[in-house]
Amino acid sequence: MASKDEMSSLARVAAALTYGEPDRVPVAPLVCGASHRFSGLTYADWSRCDDVEAMVHGHLDSIEFLGLDGVVALVDLTVEAGDFGCEVIYPEMDTAHPNYDDPFIKGPEDYKKIKKIDPRKSGRMKGIIDMVAGLSKEIGQTHAIVGFVYGSLGTLSMMRGPEAFFMDLVEHPDEVKEALAIMDEVLLDYAVAQAEAGAHGVCYDNLYASQSILSKDLWREFESEGMQKCCKAIGETGALVVHHNCGNGIYFDELQEWGGPPHAISHAYVADDVDSWEEHKQKWGGQIATIGWIPPGPVAMLGSQEEIEEECQAEIEIFKEGAGFILSTGCEYPPNAPLKHAKLIVEAGKKYGVY
Amino acid sequence: MASIEKEQELIKGLKEAVINYKADDAKRLAEEAIKEGADAYRMTMEGLAGGMEVVSEKFDNHEYFVPETLLCAKALYGALDILKPHIKSTGHEAKGQVVLGVMQGDVHDLGKNLIKAIFESAGWSVHDLGRDVPIQKFVDEQLRTDSDIVMLSAMMTTSMVGMKKLIPRIKEKNPKVKIMIGGAPISEKTVEEYGADSTADNAPNALQEAMTMLETLRGM
Repeated sequence: MASKDEMSSLARVAAALTYGEPDRVPVAPLVCGASHRFSGLTYADWSRCDDVEAMVHGHLDSIEFLGLDGVVALVDLTVEAGDFGCEVIYPEMDTAHPNYDDPFIKGPEDYKKIKKIDPRKSGRMKGIIDMVAGLSKEIGQTHAIVGFVYGSLGTLSMMRGPEAFFMDLVEHPDEVKEALAIMDEVLLDYAVAQAEAGAHGVCYDNLYASQSILSKDLWREFESEGMQKCCKAIGETGALVVHHNCGNGIYFDELQEWGGPPHAISHAYVADDVDSWEEHKQKWGGQIATIGWIPPGPVAMLGSQEEIEEECQAEIEIFKEGAGFILSTGCEYPPNAPLKHAKLIVEAGKKYGVY
Repeated sequence: MASIEKEQELIKGLKEAVINYKADDAKRLAEEAIKEGADAYRMTMEGLAGGMEVVSEKFDNHEYFVPETLLCAKALYGALDILKPHIKSTGHEAKGQVVLGVMQGDVHDLGKNLIKAIFESAGWSVHDLGRDVPIQKFVDEQLRTDSDIVMLSAMMTTSMVGMKKLIPRIKEKNPKVKIMIGGAPISEKTVEEYGADSTADNAPNALQEAMTMLETLRGM
């Protein structure tokens, strides 16, 4: 039975994340960079965050055309690093990335180069805060707006190059920690600024808190306290605390302890202490809402109409009961994937997600 | 020429240095091995590669994670740089040959580098093209080296799509070559869709897959 949508998207998302009674499962594939295709901007210009007005309209048109219940203010993972001084390369039709051939931090002695900056005054972070404000003005009463912060570990790794950075965690921990302390302060302010600009929730991306990358001990040593302060500050603004982690074997227990606790986690794989999605729902579903988990590559990008619908139906069947679920992609909707597939995801959500 | 006991001691030391990511110890022992006239090949295969095999297991079992594995690889390469010039070239054929690289437009090479370390330590000859590799370069390098396997890595869907164009080009020039693809957006479905032969979700599994593919090739 298809949904007749009795609630606003915002009310639906709020009900889902607070284990209330939504009319149906909210649907919001993470159409972030893909929204540039509605804006008239090239991907490079979108990524630069210079034309905030065009970005706002890109998201608005994306929401209207695709029927999304919400939007996440993710542009790409170089935003914070770029503002701290990292050289960013902006391909015309691809995601921006650091210039790893000439990293900002070339050796452990360079961690001292990390200086405090004001995200509200200049740079791409300011562009995103302004974009959130613009979206809040247009859809703040009807649709969910979630701000986004790439956590300090991830941001700093962009500035050093991940391979060298991971080794520095073991070989030069003190230098890394000094830089992280400065970064954590700035990212906290950035998160709060997005909430103050009207974001209903702010998402902290803690990618390395999973078996894919770091041990629990090492992650805790470097990111837990900074993340805790940031999430506390988000909560104090009245906004919801959301995390994103697309790693495999996510440390849900650590994120619960240090991350707010989060109202929801956007994720692509299950927690490290379960073996299946059914088990994940049983263990974690009533404590931390799940936003996910359609595989971006194999399903959202390459899936047939039938495969997309089947995947959505299967996920809804496992997670629908008791609310605490938003149907989405496990990570960003591929910027180059057919937009029609995002629409199919929303339609499947409306078809199978009615309560 | 080192005694058998001395060689055993050095092998054990090199193995432990790799497992415990003690790069300075690994280099020191490698230099000592050369000075003592130990068999550089045995030091490499039984010491360094033996250590890396244990590291792979630890990585698979979630005892070691990315930082530890990278540091183990650093210890291995530090010692290998010292031992390699002293390995006698005769009689030690590489297990297999692989061309390896990250797709054009993509700069994420951490996974690729882990695979390189594990494959090299396991006795494979790895032709590493680096990152952001133009499509034709993979084709040319496979032809130049006559490698058994080509391994393509992509962290993003935007770079992944290049594989669909590249794989038929490689296979057209050499239908026998096996192609393994990997990276965050890759799945069994991508393997099927793009005409690759396999995928693996981590470096130790990639090595297992490669060994299986090599057996198939050698049996042909």
